[in-house]
Amino acid sequence: MLILEAIIDGIRDIKDHFGRTLLQLFGIILGAGSIVATFSLSVAGKEASMKFYRLSGGIERIWIGDKETGKITLDAKALASKGLTYSDAVAIRKEAKEIDLVSPVSEQGMVVRYGTIEKSRSIMGVTPAYSPISFFKVEHGRFITDQDLTSAARVVVLGTTRAQEFFGSENPVGKTMTINGSGYLVVGVMEEKYFSFDQKRNALRWMNRFIYIPITTMMTRNGQPLQQGKISFMHARMKDIDRHKEAVAEIERILFRQHGVKDYQVFSRVANLARNESENKMYDVTFMICGIISLLVGGIVIMNIQLASFNERVREIGTRKAVGATPMQIFFQMLTESVIVSVLGGILGIFAGKFFTQGISMLTRNPAIITPGVIMNALIFAAGTGLIFGMYPAIRASRLNPIEALRTE
Amino acid sequence: MSAVFKFENWRAAEPAPPSAEMVHKALIQLERVTKTYDSGENAVQALAGIDLKIDRGEFVSIIGPSGSGKSTLMHILGCLDSPSEGRYWLDGEDVAAMSGKSLARIRNQKLGFVFQTFNLLPRATVWKNVELPLLYAGIDGDERKQRALEALDRVGLKNRAKHRPNELSGGQRQRVAIARALVNTPSLLLADEPTGNLDQKTGNDIIKLFEELAANNQTIILVTHDPGIAARTYRRVRIVDGLIDDGDEFE
Repeated sequence: MLILEAIIDGIRDIKDHFGRTLLQLFGIILGAGSIVATFSLSVAGKEASMKFYRLSGGIERIWIGDKETGKITLDAKALASKGLTYSDAVAIRKEAKEIDLVSPVSEQGMVVRYGTIEKSRSIMGVTPAYSPISFFKVEHGRFITDQDLTSAARVVVLGTTRAQEFFGSENPVGKTMTINGSGYLVVGVMEEKYFSFDQKRNALRWMNRFIYIPITTMMTRNGQPLQQGKISFMHARMKDIDRHKEAVAEIERILFRQHGVKDYQVFSRVANLARNESENKMYDVTFMICGIISLLVGGIVIMNIQLASFNERVREIGTRKAVGATPMQIFFQMLTESVIVSVLGGILGIFAGKFFTQGISMLTRNPAIITPGVIMNALIFAAGTGLIFGMYPAIRASRLNPIEALRTE
Repeated sequence: MSAVFKFENWRAAEPAPPSAEMVHKALIQLERVTKTYDSGENAVQALAGIDLKIDRGEFVSIIGPSGSGKSTLMHILGCLDSPSEGRYWLDGEDVAAMSGKSLARIRNQKLGFVFQTFNLLPRATVWKNVELPLLYAGIDGDERKQRALEALDRVGLKNRAKHRPNELSGGQRQRVAIARALVNTPSLLLADEPTGNLDQKTGNDIIKLFEELAANNQTIILVTHDPGIAARTYRRVRIVDGLIDDGDEFE
């Protein structure tokens, strides 16, 4: 009952002293606004990068590539190093317990022709594992199969951009195109990969530019025996992302045994993601501190103005006490006013935050999502500010001696 | 050894504790009440030992020169302040040693105040002002409104309920203050120089209102320095130098 009355009183007070309330509100609005902006940019950023990772091949994926041994060496093993081969992929697939899929890829520039269009394009020699490991499916037709692999079939699967480039609106499946002078049957077209951080550019457009043939076909064409066949890189999929360190270590151990020299490098996307997250966290913390500082300033303004208005209202408080208000009732009444102002500031701050967020989002082309959680956070912080900084004026008012208060002019 | 020097006789010289019957019968019972401010070297004794009994239905004025201690007495009677020593029973309750919270409850339920400067909340309507004691008593909205309106009716200002204090004359404001003091049907109405800020005619109207209330058995204590007003009360208590001047009490 009294709370309701105090809220009504508080709102009346805000109306009667609009100017000074505006000052009180300002700090809170800025504080709550920057908290909204921080959270929504950070939430959206995390969500976007998770989605990007998922769409571009999942976080379970490990990338394994060549590495220059670095120093000029006379070490026989280092000199003999020819980097990653198909047999490394087989070894990992057979031995690594943390790994359930391995996809070796051999990449090479070739001349591709269909009809009158002839272009030099990068061709990827892959195994059937490539599609599931990359979360990348065929839209029309089929992908490279085990049978293609064993028979070193001359079949080709196109990314959407390449299908468009060579075939226009025609359906490429079933057509034959020429790669380095030999005819290849188009058996499939991949799905289109799309993801944008800024609603403008497709961050995955590179994935639509691939052309796939069986890795065995590529190596046979090159005149390489399959087992010693040089590969450009491979992907491996770990079974359990919580054991990503063990998975990487296991791969490195197998490769070192195979090569006897560290001419390879292994990266897990989980580790990448963690690194990104810790970078993001720094931004979050910086922003958060700005928000908290704004709220502190807002809180101090609230306290100051509550104290000033308290001096103005000493007689009123004295009167309230004379007619029987207990110290506790006065305390809650004053505190309610501070909290009302700060919650109002918080609500306005959410709108300010929406505005900040859109501004930052537009300038940096980062996505932003204002979730209910973000709004709750801003309101809780704002109300907390009013509660904490309203405490001191409220305690002073509650302890006021009614006789002295009534004597004040 | 003669009986006069016996210890028991020394004890007997002190006043006996009031009987239960006395406490019950009198609305106000003050015993050897003192008030000392700023205890230390600059101690000022505002009240030097007041014994005072006021029954229900009395209309009493407290008079005395400024600095006599009548304001201090008023504050103690009004439970705004506690005596340094002595005892104070109000309506059967020993209020001298009560905590701030209990005193607030006593003020809220048993007392009504009328001040020289009205002390209305400037930003609240007349209605809200009159409701104020009921608000702190935790009475709910509809009953508050009803009782406030009745109290305003008693002072003849029912039609001004929705105005703000600054839209009223001084006399009307004091009537609002009286309505506020009456709204909780107090055992005791305390008025501190209620006509001090009013012209003579308006002041006279206010005193008439007090007379009407007294005629209806409302216990009233009125602090004034105006002998003309004091003469209209049933009983006068004169305070001089922190003590009751008995010579004047039964003139």
